[in-house]
Amino acid sequence: MKRKTLHTLCVLILTQLVFAANSYAQPYEQKKLSLKYSSASLKTILNAIEKKAGVVIMFEATDAIKKEKASISVTNQMLSQVLDQLLKPVGMEWAIRGNVIRLYKTKNAKTPPSTPQPAARNTSLTSVPNTDPGPVKGQVTDSTGAPLAGATVYVKGTSIATKTDAQGNFTIPAEKGQVLEISFVGYNNKEVVVREQGQLAIALSVMETSLDQLVVIGYGTQKQRDLTGAVSTVKGEEVSKRNEVLLSTSLQGLAPGVAVTRASSIPGNHATIRVRGITTIGDSDPLILVDGVPVDNIDIVNPNDVENISVLKDAASASIYGARASAGVILITTKKAKNNELNLEYQGNFGITQLTEFPATVDYKRYMEMINEIAWNDGGNQAGAEYGIYSKDFIDSYAANHQSDPDRFPITNWSDIVLKKSAPYTRHGLNLSYGNKAVKSKISLNYEKSDALTDNRSFERITSRMNNDIAINKYLTAEVGASFVHELRENANINPVSIAYKYGPLWTPYWSDGRVSDGRNGANTWARVKYGGYDNGWDDQFLGRIALNFKPVKNLTITGTLAPTIQVHKEKKFNKQVPYYELDNTTSPSGFIDGSLTTSLREARNEVRTMTKQLIANYSLNIVNRHYLTFMAGYEDYYRFTERLGASSDNFLLTDFPYLDRAPLDYMLNTGNASEVAYRSYFGRIAYDFDKKYLIQANLRYDGSSRFHPDYRWASFPSVSLGWVLSEENFFKNLHIGAIDFIKLRGSLGTLGNERIGSYPYQSVLNFSNALFVQGGTVVARTTAAQQSYAIRNISWETTESWNAGLDARFLGDRLSLTVDYYRKNTKDMLLALEIPDYMGYSNPSQNAGLMHTKGWDAQLGWRDKIGDFRYSVSVNMSDYKSVMGNLSGIVYDGDQIIREGSEFNEWYGYVSDGLYQSAHDVDNSPKLSVVVAPGDVKYKDISGPDGVPDGKISPEYDRVLLGGSLPRYLYGGNLNAQYKGFDASLVFQGVGKQTSRITEDMVYQTVAWHTFPDFVDGNYFSQYKTEEQNRNAKYPRLSQLSYQGNNYKMSDFWLFDGSYFRLKNITFGYTLPPTWTDAAKLAHVRIYASATDLFSLSKYPKGWDPEAGSAVAYVSKTWNFGIQVRF
Amino acid sequence: MKKNILLIYVSSMLMLIGGCARNLDLNPLSEGSSENWFKNENEITLALNDLYRSDLWYIESNRLFSTDRYSDDWSQREQLYEWAAGATTGMTGEVINIWQTLYKGVARSNTILYSLDRATDNVSEERLNQLRGEASFFRACFYSYLIFLYGDVPFVTDYITIEQAFELGRTDKNVILKQVYDDFDVAIQYLPTSYGNDLMRVTKGAAYAFKARIAAWMLDYRTCAEAAKACIDLDEYSLHPDYGDLFLSKTHTSPELIFTIPRSLALMNDALASNSFYIRNAGGTAVAQPSWELFCAYTCTDGLPVDESTLYDPQQPFKNRDPRCAATMVEFGTEHLGFIYDPGAEKVLNLTTNKMVTNKDALLNDQFAAYNGMCLKKGVDEEWMDDKKTETGIKLMRYADVLLMYAEAKMELNEIDASVLEAINKVRARAYKVAHTQTGDYPAVTETDQARLRTIIRNERRVELAWENRRWFDLLRWRLAEIALVRPVYCLPVKEGLIANIASGDYFFPKGVLPEIDENGLVDLSPLFATGKIRAVVQRKFDPRQYLFPIPSKEVQINNNIQQNPGY
Repeated sequence: MKRKTLHTLCVLILTQLVFAANSYAQPYEQKKLSLKYSSASLKTILNAIEKKAGVVIMFEATDAIKKEKASISVTNQMLSQVLDQLLKPVGMEWAIRGNVIRLYKTKNAKTPPSTPQPAARNTSLTSVPNTDPGPVKGQVTDSTGAPLAGATVYVKGTSIATKTDAQGNFTIPAEKGQVLEISFVGYNNKEVVVREQGQLAIALSVMETSLDQLVVIGYGTQKQRDLTGAVSTVKGEEVSKRNEVLLSTSLQGLAPGVAVTRASSIPGNHATIRVRGITTIGDSDPLILVDGVPVDNIDIVNPNDVENISVLKDAASASIYGARASAGVILITTKKAKNNELNLEYQGNFGITQLTEFPATVDYKRYMEMINEIAWNDGGNQAGAEYGIYSKDFIDSYAANHQSDPDRFPITNWSDIVLKKSAPYTRHGLNLSYGNKAVKSKISLNYEKSDALTDNRSFERITSRMNNDIAINKYLTAEVGASFVHELRENANINPVSIAYKYGPLWTPYWSDGRVSDGRNGANTWARVKYGGYDNGWDDQFLGRIALNFKPVKNLTITGTLAPTIQVHKEKKFNKQVPYYELDNTTSPSGFIDGSLTTSLREARNEVRTMTKQLIANYSLNIVNRHYLTFMAGYEDYYRFTERLGASSDNFLLTDFPYLDRAPLDYMLNTGNASEVAYRSYFGRIAYDFDKKYLIQANLRYDGSSRFHPDYRWASFPSVSLGWVLSEENFFKNLHIGAIDFIKLRGSLGTLGNERIGSYPYQSVLNFSNALFVQGGTVVARTTAAQQSYAIRNISWETTESWNAGLDARFLGDRLSLTVDYYRKNTKDMLLALEIPDYMGYSNPSQNAGLMHTKGWDAQLGWRDKIGDFRYSVSVNMSDYKSVMGNLSGIVYDGDQIIREGSEFNEWYGYVSDGLYQSAHDVDNSPKLSVVVAPGDVKYKDISGPDGVPDGKISPEYDRVLLGGSLPRYLYGGNLNAQYKGFDASLVFQGVGKQTSRITEDMVYQTVAWHTFPDFVDGNYFSQYKTEEQNRNAKYPRLSQLSYQGNNYKMSDFWLFDGSYFRLKNITFGYTLPPTWTDAAKLAHVRIYASATDLFSLSKYPKGWDPEAGSAVAYVSKTWNFGIQVRF
Repeated sequence: MKKNILLIYVSSMLMLIGGCARNLDLNPLSEGSSENWFKNENEITLALNDLYRSDLWYIESNRLFSTDRYSDDWSQREQLYEWAAGATTGMTGEVINIWQTLYKGVARSNTILYSLDRATDNVSEERLNQLRGEASFFRACFYSYLIFLYGDVPFVTDYITIEQAFELGRTDKNVILKQVYDDFDVAIQYLPTSYGNDLMRVTKGAAYAFKARIAAWMLDYRTCAEAAKACIDLDEYSLHPDYGDLFLSKTHTSPELIFTIPRSLALMNDALASNSFYIRNAGGTAVAQPSWELFCAYTCTDGLPVDESTLYDPQQPFKNRDPRCAATMVEFGTEHLGFIYDPGAEKVLNLTTNKMVTNKDALLNDQFAAYNGMCLKKGVDEEWMDDKKTETGIKLMRYADVLLMYAEAKMELNEIDASVLEAINKVRARAYKVAHTQTGDYPAVTETDQARLRTIIRNERRVELAWENRRWFDLLRWRLAEIALVRPVYCLPVKEGLIANIASGDYFFPKGVLPEIDENGLVDLSPLFATGKIRAVVQRKFDPRQYLFPIPSKEVQINNNIQQNPGY
């Protein structure tokens, strides 16, 4: 019999243990039974038959079984007759082997090849065409090693089946190469290939309903069902199947309230993660813990090693990490080996990276004409001066000249020269898992290398991780884990992406014979990238963790953890002299390229050591029936030491020895400094659960930080959360709302702290430097000392009080799930570097500034189901928040953004535009910013003046206003997954629903004369050469260097636009080879797959600009990826 | 038994965690603490050293030739800076940076001055006074710039808290000027006149000279004359014998130098991008040049301006000019950095290879050759070329400036006597490398009419101090910016026009027309432009509000006691 998929649902209701071996005596189909049902579901009736006849009925999940109603009334009839009577009307037939009855549709009756026809019902087991079916023995356990009694063991392709005994043992006649399928209610099916005639050890994993899943929370785990805080979870497979190198980017779009933004696809560039938005001006990175140990960067973990990720979003779930939790907490649990497991898995990927988009620029002719127009405008539009830079003759004859002399009259497309068409990416991963009762080990080793789309830039990484669980004795278990990550970033000394679209077409980086030219007057980025040396960085990161779990009495666990990390960063910037040649001087170089004038070397070594120590006790108590209590108490301390060392030298005579001792003794510079930070914390939790209905949890954390003065150092962060499982209430059950499986209401209240503001903010630190003096005709250096920042002695914790209300619901048989959270946060004593008067002579110190109010929500909706062999799921999430500043005792200016009372956090701040000045009369009779303004410039509105009324002038002091929040709103993401037989497919999308973005200078502004103009500006700007009508409709101001700097590009709403976008993030197709094929090759599992990342996006960004590439030196690329996964 | 096991496990667990609660009293590891600083001479000296850092002298050191680029001495293709375009606001970067660094200097000087008491047990009173003098000098300097550039400003001389700072408004600049004079007087009283072989720190002479400078800026010619006279009377300074040599990077010491902040490539303190100022044949970019207005300001060897002197020839404009002209700009046909410089030649001689090469410093060959054909010579030497960086020191005050300040102040006071003429003539005679008494060998000044002498002195300052960050300050204090800085920047025509000019004999300047030079020495080139043979590349603009910088917008916005300067 050919089973259609692995995923046939087996419903097994067992009342007695039945052993196939001793049940031949009386055929089951002859058993007599009595039944009486009227219009009951077929499933119910079949269940009853199983109970009464002691058989196992297996069927593929079809709508018929679920939906079909049947009536039957029999007394003491044979099972065969009962089944015929019941099934024929619904178009089904049955077959029996031993005590296992299989149902199938009549239509397909002729196809199942090895299924006995109904006529052959009496065929005995011995007639199965096995040549030498020796007995195969085995034991079925759960993942912890506990035996599973009554599990069905079935030889695939035959009708041989049996069940396990009370110890989980079974014996079944099967031959080498046959596949056993083991199933047990509530557990995932498993297939095992018979290799030897020995004892098989088979561990089944629990088939979780979404509510039974264990969720990792701070210092513990909880079932999804029992959660009272706002926690988003992401499964390891969701990130690993994205096939991205970095975990940070793999998280994009996966969890509501978790915003992942990346500035570019340059290999190795970390993405930024924000949990429920920005909370403070300084460090808004969430606290990241890997197996309970804080780390600096999420990308220290390979996506393939992730078992699951929990994001603690509200105060109640995060406050257990009090001190550092205000920006949210991300808990990463890495994979561990399971019991009775021994396998080796290899995964190999090959990918190709290509640009998504790239902005176009004007051609050589328009470039020259537009440069002339700038000069004419800035020269005062004097008659006869229209060809101020390029004469008409020069422009008109350029194309012809280029034909005959391309070196002297180049037309260069810099993006073609600087950007590669594609770049490769490879990845290899090995995973070894081994587990028995005493020791479970998982070891992984991954290697990745990705090249950038520019020359001499790549990212290479080796990650390795080892997790061991060791059961030492009845009281003591140990977890020993270590990971080592090595990263190498190879970079050219300069990132050439910006020049690719900025450099004008009239210069060439090399002559037609290949010699390096002086580019644009010695500026030749191409040559620097190609020959100018490198700026490489190495990172070695070691994380160790030893945890001892001591269980002195039942339900009490004391865990002591010691986790050191060591990070070493090494940098080597070797800047090589790059000579260039004159066109007509082929023999000797004429000079050196700017930035590569001398050969210099700069080396840096930074070391960070941290140590985390924890002592935690967990105790759970079942006071009386239905009352459950758990306690947790803990102590933690953390120390971090950073030391930096730098050395550099210049004017190397040789360009092949990148070592400092090859440098001349003068021009040498050494630097070094160090800092340290420590925390100490006490914390505890009580959770109470009454009858799975009422849940309450309280947390308290008491934290001290070395950053503050002893008098202001300690703070406590309490929280409480409640859960009410509405669907467990009798009154709810009595409502008989069949579609609703589960509803839980959650509420939480708590406070969080933040203190990340430099190491010693309360101390008046003297900074040392050097000044030069003349002594006896020579120049000497002397040490200097000065206090550069103002010390706020009583600076202390920033606290965020927040409440969260949430709903978790499951509908339609756990197929539809919904989680919604609404929250408010009030940040008090917010740490902000408020502006102090510059005439104090200090930089702005961080202060406990004031209040911020945040409101937000996040939601996730999921659907999963299957239609026959087709299983699919859809999940979408969305989140939004808005932070408004309350009473601050000051203002923060951050470039073109502001933080002040009533503003959003980082709100755009600038002038309000009123179109373009259309005429000299308009200019003369309108308020203006300065005398630089002329027709065609951006006109601003006169909002106010020193006396609170418009004063006829545009001034930065009185005419700039809030222009709307700059942060993204309505972040959304979603994924679709589908599986059919061996095929699987998934799709991830992600985007921003609303964002007020700015057209950056890079996009629109030709900064210097040799830079060219964006294509989208040409034809759309105000010009003396155009009609009044055309100018009235101009989208961009006139071409002018003076006005761009002096007026037009000042921050104003003129440059704001809707920056929302939709992005198709990832599509993956996979195919798992049939076990019969893989087994022939002695393999356990083989999957091949192909995926594509960042294929497509929609946005209103200027043509050619990717919505995620924020700056001129960045690009976003798409990746085509092919891979294979083999388990031995 | 079970109890024992429990005990063993728990105690070993506690030992693992290491009974060592981490100490939270952590102090900076690689920095000092100001709490207990200033207690001995060494610590005070380190703090004083900080005031010599070029960073605190941002306005003089932010770039080579910092403020000259706003003035009519400057020509930089079609580029203008925000100030020169008339676009300065309270958000202009320079306005903010200059304000911030000057006040950093004030705060650091103040900290030293009010902390000196801590050291009374360890340092002698005499030495303490000297340290006090030094700190007072710097505070006076920083406030001098502040009141000249911004007018009335917040006035802080002591420790203030943030709350106190927000209560401050702007103090009348004359009140601050009084403190500046007092501070300079303390410096004059306690500072030595020289340091022998020790580090060259600020001196009594520097205090006199800077006092004279702020007095001149504030049009207090009496104080200016007195301070300048006192500086002259110290008899400590004299003019460097060779004008051109004085500005080279090798010249660290000279009896003419009163206060300099040196630069050193080897000590990682240099001025970047010197290549903007030298020739393209030698690997420079020739982005910026001395302007034609400056070029025309040099008198002819008869002492007359080019529009009056018969010695002037527009086609050979370097001929018969004040020697400082050719010391400041490269004379056509002469050697410069290994090449013959000639913006009108297709090919020029490379003196290293002795071959004629394509002349990249001519618009005939290179679109980005110096637009106006000029090339800076003052201070430029081979040292600039190795890595496009220079270690030319920042010469903040030299004796020639003091002499000219003296002459100007006395002239303005209408106390024109022999000492006035001697001061000017010393400066002028040095240019001709003769003694001021050899009046036959150079065009000595004999003018005693106040108005005419004013014209001469103002022009003398311009040409003597060209590209030394003085011109812009002078134009502001003389209230001449509104005339000088509203004219276009002129230069040679593009290639085709230049070929025509050469062919018609209108090279270097068009024949038959002369610039107009007014009584302030300001040069108007519009008659040349009217011929159609030169081009105007960019229009300078000046709004009279720019006689003062705006107060940085932020200060106005966060503090209601601070009002913006008029016009902004």
